[in-house]
Amino acid sequence: MYRKQVRRRRAVLALLVIGGFVLLTVTYGRGSTSLQEGVSAVFSPLETAADRALKPARDLVNWFDKTFDARGENSQLKAELEATRAQAVGGEAAIAENRELRKLLELDEGGTIPGGYTPVTGRVVVRAPTEWTADVVIDVGSGDGVAVEDPVVNGDGLVGKVTAVAGGSAKVTLITDSSSAVSARVVPGNSQGVIKPSLGEPGSLTLDFIKSSKLIGRNRIVVTAGWSSGDISSGFPPNLPIGEVTEASVVEQEAQQQVHVRPFADLRNLNFLQVLTGGWRE
Amino acid sequence: MILTPKILVRLVALLILAVLLQVTFFSRVALFHVSPDVLPAVVASLGLLGGSMSGAVAGFSAGILLDCLLIAPLGGSSLVLMATGYLAGTFRERFEITSRFLPPLLIAGFTLFAQLGYGAVEVMIGVDSTVSAQIVKDMLVKSVYAFFLGWPIYLGVKRLLRPAIVEEPERRQRRRPTVLGA
Repeated sequence: MYRKQVRRRRAVLALLVIGGFVLLTVTYGRGSTSLQEGVSAVFSPLETAADRALKPARDLVNWFDKTFDARGENSQLKAELEATRAQAVGGEAAIAENRELRKLLELDEGGTIPGGYTPVTGRVVVRAPTEWTADVVIDVGSGDGVAVEDPVVNGDGLVGKVTAVAGGSAKVTLITDSSSAVSARVVPGNSQGVIKPSLGEPGSLTLDFIKSSKLIGRNRIVVTAGWSSGDISSGFPPNLPIGEVTEASVVEQEAQQQVHVRPFADLRNLNFLQVLTGGWRE
Repeated sequence: MILTPKILVRLVALLILAVLLQVTFFSRVALFHVSPDVLPAVVASLGLLGGSMSGAVAGFSAGILLDCLLIAPLGGSSLVLMATGYLAGTFRERFEITSRFLPPLLIAGFTLFAQLGYGAVEVMIGVDSTVSAQIVKDMLVKSVYAFFLGWPIYLGVKRLLRPAIVEEPERRQRRRPTVLGA
């Protein structure tokens, strides 16, 4: 009797392990499966309800986190405010210059989002529990016109891109995910490189492939490069703000600069995101 | 664990609630920039109370639901949480839980194990991640959170599944018989 029980338990355990590996092998790299779409459709209203109901509690816990942070940042911000005030005067002139240049180039003055893209707004309903990946799930999907590879922004700048899509939800892989790479340029100066997450520093970014001869100063703005070459083009439209340069140091052995970038978007506290649909597909 | 239809419904409801709370609340709050992960704690509690098979099956099911909601490759979280639940259950079958502090300590340990497991699965499927001091710190802080959240989670799961738990070591103080007229 006891041996039979042990055999049965071993069989169940083996079945679960094999099942896990088979599922992983079959579904890896496929985006979303019909099972996930079904579960997502059933749980989507529950997720939305839970998301709304738990928002006050989330805000309370995050308020404690921000309070701890704010104490440390207070003195640093005071010093930065002084510097920013001094820069503001020069900034006015730069803005006027920028307006003139935009008119010359006949660019759309007001729009950060280029023509051809249709923004679809979604709410973040789910976030991955592990630090190994940086994914969120939003409550808009293929039914709203969202497709894989669509860029995603919020009010502060670039957030990431859609990597999987179901009928009423989509997975957004953030720019801080280890799989993310975005072609970007520094303005002013126009130095181009690739924005990747800083390995070992969750939440911060590194701009790679910048030659050491083009020294990048602090507080410079990094935007998407949005390159195109013949029929091939970047999935990200040009000039979407990504972040600002916090530090740049020359790596002697590689004749390149290590440019550290702080993203504009607060990627830990995302609520509403905008998916830029259409654009690159048309 | 004695599985009756009523207990099965409670178990399913518990796992759904835990996964929903994880993805809509715990993953989206941060203290010292680290979010708590309660799923290993729930699965480990089920293993510690119900045994290795209960822990493994609960972990596998919770993992599948988590991967479905995250639109992630199915099976990764299942393998990690199944191993967590199985190990917790094996501990329960071999040793006796005598101290009140043992369940939260074990839950903290199993949460650390699950975090390492998530990392191993990411490496296995080819995600280029680097183990750094920051990641190690995050994993340790998650374990500390699990220690503090572990006790209420363990007690909650124990209360929910009380009718189904087979061996519940409970030390009851015997009442002395009252001798009338003594």
